[in-house]
Amino acid sequence: MTRPRRHVTPVFTRCFRSPALSDRKMAALARLSQALRVPLRSVTRSPLNRDRRQLSAAAGHGHGEHSAKTWKILTFVVALPGVAVCMLNMYLKEQQHSHEQPEFIPYTHLRIRSKRFPWGDGNKSLFHNPHANALPDGYEGHDE
Amino acid sequence: MAHQAHAYHMVDPSPWPLTGAVGALLLTSGLAVWFHFHSTILLSLGLILLLLTMYQWWRDIIREGTFQGHHTPPVQKGLRFGMILFITSEVFFFLGFFWAFYHSSLAPTPELGGCWPPTGITTLDPFEVPLLNTAVLLASGVTVTWAHHSIMEGEREQAIHSLTLTILLGFYFTFLQAMEYYEAPFTIADGVYGSTFFVATGFHGLHVIIGSTFLAVCLLRQVQYHFTSGHHFGFEAAAWYWHFVDVVWLFLYISIYWWGS
Repeated sequence: MTRPRRHVTPVFTRCFRSPALSDRKMAALARLSQALRVPLRSVTRSPLNRDRRQLSAAAGHGHGEHSAKTWKILTFVVALPGVAVCMLNMYLKEQQHSHEQPEFIPYTHLRIRSKRFPWGDGNKSLFHNPHANALPDGYEGHDE
Repeated sequence: MAHQAHAYHMVDPSPWPLTGAVGALLLTSGLAVWFHFHSTILLSLGLILLLLTMYQWWRDIIREGTFQGHHTPPVQKGLRFGMILFITSEVFFFLGFFWAFYHSSLAPTPELGGCWPPTGITTLDPFEVPLLNTAVLLASGVTVTWAHHSIMEGEREQAIHSLTLTILLGFYFTFLQAMEYYEAPFTIADGVYGSTFFVATGFHGLHVIIGSTFLAVCLLRQVQYHFTSGHHFGFEAAAWYWHFVDVVWLFLYISIYWWGS
């Protein structure tokens, strides 16, 4: 898609409040971006940036007036059922889990406290879970 | 009356770059002060200033583009370059954390037990919540594409529905990830495993929240008729960012959750 390039004369420059770029520089930028546009098009080939006329490959046809419909179908037939399957999988696996605490061994390479956390007593991480996370000395009490 | 003889946008003087810079300074120094001196004043000030800056700066851009018509095709092209460059910089940001992860995991030190995952670490099952998270983000990529095509075809209701669905999926991901963080048997303080896991996934989660917010703003704008079928760059930028977030997750999933387990 070509656009006619206009050469801007600097006649009006004096009327402007100190522009960030002079007109000559802006014209040069326009030429540069024109030159970059062709190779850049292959880089910015995200489907969203593609020319509207060359729409969704899934549609198959040259024109893409009905691409929204294609993606709507993909959403309700593939994407959301995929999420539902994964949710089901999770529910089933969760039932087979044992919910035991992992055994506590006072390894020195874990539960590092070279600097206190800047909250509370400085000993618990931000998402501390008393059931799952042991402190450096071991699990807290025996609360679930 | 003076008319400009070019298609570019000579922006009016604005205080937001300065307030943003000051806010960023307060935020970073405030974080250090909080860590060492337990005071949150600078941090809070910085956060408020930054939030105010973002709100007002982007509000001004919307005024200039949507209401005043300054976003001509050359201007839009510049905005596209800008967004692409920004996302590229974010790619490099995440590359660093992936570097750290692979550095530590490909040659585990004796202190860790000479193995990866390190001794004593109970990893998360990659085929439970992480798999669901993957499905959720991939689905959101489909719905955001549906939204884009809806906007291009002038389908207002469909665009609103699909965009809402995308945002809901984003919230669902964040909710699932927060639950995972709470239920995980390891913490950020569990050696280099904990550090790499939580820093990489944590920054990713932050980007999901940012992306969801960006999409939510687009939803508000779509409802208020800001977008046309031929000009909706704000939405495109949000969609690009969202796809980037999705791709980062895929790399995280493969590297840290699956290979690293």
